[in-house]
Amino acid sequence: MSRLNRRWKLALPALGVLAIAVFAAASTSLAASAREVRVAIMTDCKGAFGFGYEPDIGGAQAAFAQFAGGKPKNPKKPSAGMTGIKVGNTSVRIVGYGCGDDTVPTAIKETRRLMEQLRADVMIGPLSGDEAVSVANYAKTHPTKTFVIGTAGSQDPTLQIAPKNVFRYHGDGAQWNAGTGEIAYKRLGWRNAAIIMDDYSFGWTSAAGLIADFCAIGGKITKRVFPPLNTTDYASYIQQLPPPDQVDGYFWVVGGTGTAASLKAFEQAFGALKPSQHIGNLFFAFLGADKVVAPKVVGSYVGGFGTGPGLKTKQAKAYEAVVAKHYPGLNGGNYADGFVYNYYNAAWAFVRGLQASGGQLGARLQASMPRTNKSGYEVSDGGLVRLDANRQAVQDQYPLQVVKNADGSIGTAVVGYVPNVNQSFGGLFKKTSPAPGRTQPPCVKKKLPWQGKIKVVKNGVITNQTIR
Amino acid sequence: MTGLAATKRWVERGVGLAALVLVALGPAVFNDYWADAILTQTFIVGIAAASLIFLSAYGGMISLAQTAMMGAAGFILGNMVTQSAPGGETKGLTLGWDPTLAIVLALLGTTLLGLVFGAIASRSTGIYFLMITLTYSVIGFYFVGQVTNVSGFSGISGINSYTPGFVGDMVNDRYRLYYIALGVAIVVYVLIRYVVRTPFGLALQGVRDEPVRMSSLGYAVPLHRTLAFGFAAFLASLSGVLLVWWQGQIAPGDIGLQATIDLLIVAVIGGLGRVEGAWLGALAFIVINNYIRDSWLTELLDDVRIGGSFNTIIGLVFLAIVIVSPDGLIGLWDRLWGLATGSRDPDRPAMAPSPAGQQS
Amino acid sequence: MLVGFALLYVVVIAEPTPEVGGNWRTTNFGSLFDDWRSFTRTLLNGLTFAGLLFIVASGFSLIFGLMRVVNMAHGSFYLLGGYIAYEVQQEMTGQGFTILSAEVTTWEWIFPALVAAATIAVVGLVVQQVFLRWNQGQELRQALITIAISVIVADQVIAHFNEGIASTITWPGWTDRLVELPLLGIDYSLTRLVVLFLGVLVAAALWAWLYRTRTGMVIRAGVDDRQMTSALGVNIQRTFALAFVVGSALAAFGGVVGASQGAVAAGQDGQWLLNSLVVVIIGGMGSLLGAAAGSLLYGLVFSFSAVYLPTTGGNCCTQYSIVFTFILLALVLAFRPQGLFGRAA
Repeated sequence: MSRLNRRWKLALPALGVLAIAVFAAASTSLAASAREVRVAIMTDCKGAFGFGYEPDIGGAQAAFAQFAGGKPKNPKKPSAGMTGIKVGNTSVRIVGYGCGDDTVPTAIKETRRLMEQLRADVMIGPLSGDEAVSVANYAKTHPTKTFVIGTAGSQDPTLQIAPKNVFRYHGDGAQWNAGTGEIAYKRLGWRNAAIIMDDYSFGWTSAAGLIADFCAIGGKITKRVFPPLNTTDYASYIQQLPPPDQVDGYFWVVGGTGTAASLKAFEQAFGALKPSQHIGNLFFAFLGADKVVAPKVVGSYVGGFGTGPGLKTKQAKAYEAVVAKHYPGLNGGNYADGFVYNYYNAAWAFVRGLQASGGQLGARLQASMPRTNKSGYEVSDGGLVRLDANRQAVQDQYPLQVVKNADGSIGTAVVGYVPNVNQSFGGLFKKTSPAPGRTQPPCVKKKLPWQGKIKVVKNGVITNQTIR
Repeated sequence: MTGLAATKRWVERGVGLAALVLVALGPAVFNDYWADAILTQTFIVGIAAASLIFLSAYGGMISLAQTAMMGAAGFILGNMVTQSAPGGETKGLTLGWDPTLAIVLALLGTTLLGLVFGAIASRSTGIYFLMITLTYSVIGFYFVGQVTNVSGFSGISGINSYTPGFVGDMVNDRYRLYYIALGVAIVVYVLIRYVVRTPFGLALQGVRDEPVRMSSLGYAVPLHRTLAFGFAAFLASLSGVLLVWWQGQIAPGDIGLQATIDLLIVAVIGGLGRVEGAWLGALAFIVINNYIRDSWLTELLDDVRIGGSFNTIIGLVFLAIVIVSPDGLIGLWDRLWGLATGSRDPDRPAMAPSPAGQQS
Repeated sequence: MLVGFALLYVVVIAEPTPEVGGNWRTTNFGSLFDDWRSFTRTLLNGLTFAGLLFIVASGFSLIFGLMRVVNMAHGSFYLLGGYIAYEVQQEMTGQGFTILSAEVTTWEWIFPALVAAATIAVVGLVVQQVFLRWNQGQELRQALITIAISVIVADQVIAHFNEGIASTITWPGWTDRLVELPLLGIDYSLTRLVVLFLGVLVAAALWAWLYRTRTGMVIRAGVDDRQMTSALGVNIQRTFALAFVVGSALAAFGGVVGASQGAVAAGQDGQWLLNSLVVVIIGGMGSLLGAAAGSLLYGLVFSFSAVYLPTTGGNCCTQYSIVFTFILLALVLAFRPQGLFGRAA
């Protein structure tokens, strides 16, 4: 047997490739069918946010059902699919659901599968900050496709990267915390605080909102501690925090398994938690934390998620009724979760954009995407969310408090209404500023657009009083 | 050599040639997604898997560090070529060096790293070697996950905009990468076939089978293992460079536990005994991952009230492959051929030699 | 030498953080002489964390030592154990919320832990009998089979256990306080001391089992020379099954302790597989003493490096703490590839 011959032993791959060629040919012929707009919904089904799969898809499809005549195949399981979506004369087909796992490589692979294999024209998604960064980078090189971010807290997709075909109809992680620092300063009398944040982009961005807001009104951050994401044992990081008699309070930006673990570690280091000494970002009350963490911190203030749970405005009730109508019991009946709400608004905005473009895609659709939208929890400007020049939402925010309900269950109540929160925090964040990081932003006193304008919210009703 | 075995060779050669012609026609035959995503990815992942199979088939070492090596090349390249933009649009060190220099340094650096890691692991064999290399992979992952200066935590993006002139524009001309990846894959295949026939390669196989005897014959056993590991790291670094061009970015998740295990799965599905299996396994794995979720199998889960998503199916499929055919699809082919012709393939390589197992 | 410098640094060189500035000597607390209370706390944190590490890793090590099976599903058993105990505790006292520790009795913690350990012991037995018994000696294949199982378990956990959301088990009320340690004069968490106690308890029980009973003798003989042991007429198959049962139960029990100490959530399976791996690589595979030494070293390096790295300028250098674990690993691998207490392969 000569050596030369053996070299040609590439043999087997070929069998597979042949089979695939048939596959490929088949899928190409399928594509030739009638003209329709192809939409993909990208979310997570594995990893830390795996539970967001059905709520996200349900939120987006509730909007398709309401505004474009879609019919859920199974009202209990949104991912079963939806038929009959029509915008004007254009029919819309949901070609697939993306399954991320909160990591960048999977987000890219899934995005490619949706946009290239399933040939989606538009993506509603993704979920989570790092995924949105990678999708925004992808969007930059695919200008004919349009991306409406599902729920993501990172700043970069619409500030530093900001491609023209990426839209976000909700706030970023920093915006969600607007007003919380001012409440700490005025209501709780905090002057010096420590902050503990997950050492990754969402942690930094969310913390950036708390720091910027608290420092803007005159507070000081005396210590920043950065445990790695999902640290196994938080004891050595908690130990670095100043003890409770040396600061007025602590801001917490620790998510995933870390929220409960770090709070337990705090109790184990310094004794029982005093609710008035702790403020969390959304990790205290959303993403499953309402059941795990909230019972420990009844009375603590919490940053928001761009929604107003329990807000008694007509618009808010109408939104909740719409979701309940198409997907009753979605997300355990908690429609005020950012996962559901943000995907809903993203899909709704897309439907309006497609209407305005007359079914045209690409640049035409991007030019027609609505600059304002009547989202459920908006109050300012006649209940309109607005997009800024970077296609990023300027949105009302609602700081919350963990409360014990009459029936003994634990929930949240909206305590404040922060009108028109923009991404720049009064010029602190701009295209040329570094993205939020361990030391970014620095603690500076400055004027914020909403400073001194935060209205008290009582029992879900916005009062005329400002928080003092 | 029996007539039947020769026939088998001819069949394999024929199929291989047909496959080569088919993929060489590339974009003319396949639709965009197949060419750009599935096949390009197959070539790239296949190279990394080939480096794993090379170590396993000819060195008797199952390495789980190949993903880390791939990532090392990617991170070195990413940190060196990218330039800082206002606002930290891309993260990492953003050194902005010359792309050609950066590629050379990425390949060299990774090979060096491989030699160092290889030297440390060279005294271990079998399942111990597997665990030590898994540790390397974990070290790599936590290093980039934690030292955000080099990884920006969420990764370095826009790397494919910085390519040397002789490689050309990667962003707008996607088929360029298709052919580059195909070319590199063929070169890697030929290179491995060549290396195993050199005196070094033959000695390596001797070390695999009879380490004690080779040692007493005066061969430096750890040195051979170290060099083999370095060579495999070099192959993996090639695939790392291609990977960042293909993805445009590199992130810690690229070398996480999941990615590490995925590469092992690719190699096992293909078959750890023969290098061809690398690309076959990559293709099968990528196709399964892309298509199985829309199949009726996923609905079956709900029907039988097990619940869960297509990930359960992928796990079950993988379990079935490992149980039914431990030497992968290539092994399955060998066995089917044997069944059909009633012959035993004379030169079928032993699957995954494991010295530790032999000793116990 | 490196080790010596690290010790010297922690004990003498480090300085507490000044109001502004700082240099390579400034750390969070300063050295042992500057702030011995913090030093003691850090030491205790490391020791107590090691207790948890040991519970999980000793099971991994036991299975590996005897059967040469790298059980890649060990983390999945940890995860399942944590979730099962969570469900049971919720069933006993809960309202779907995290329970406050004052409402939990000792029994309401122990019973869920027992149920979880017993269930996973059975799961482990089934896995061993169905998937691993007939292919002994094919180590890679066995590792791959357990990988496949872990992929399936990870997905099924999201489908059936609280959607894979982070969930916590509550320690019994009496543990949830700080106690003053005599001699040391510092307050320290009783819960953490309980974790340490549980770790020591498991170690003592394993030791007694392995070194003071006949079964244990067989197991140790099996670790040393499997063929010889079975040639002597010992039913090695039954011993294998038993080792797998105990190893799986330990993973599950570790999951319960881990979920009580922090939280259990989808995705932690990989993390705990790696923790076990690191411990076992450091300590030596298949050695009880090795698992203990590995846990201690890992726990101490983890807790000291996070606290005692220089804090110059805020952006440095505590994020490098993880690197120290790897320096430890690299040192061990370079000088004793078989681990501190392992025997050469």
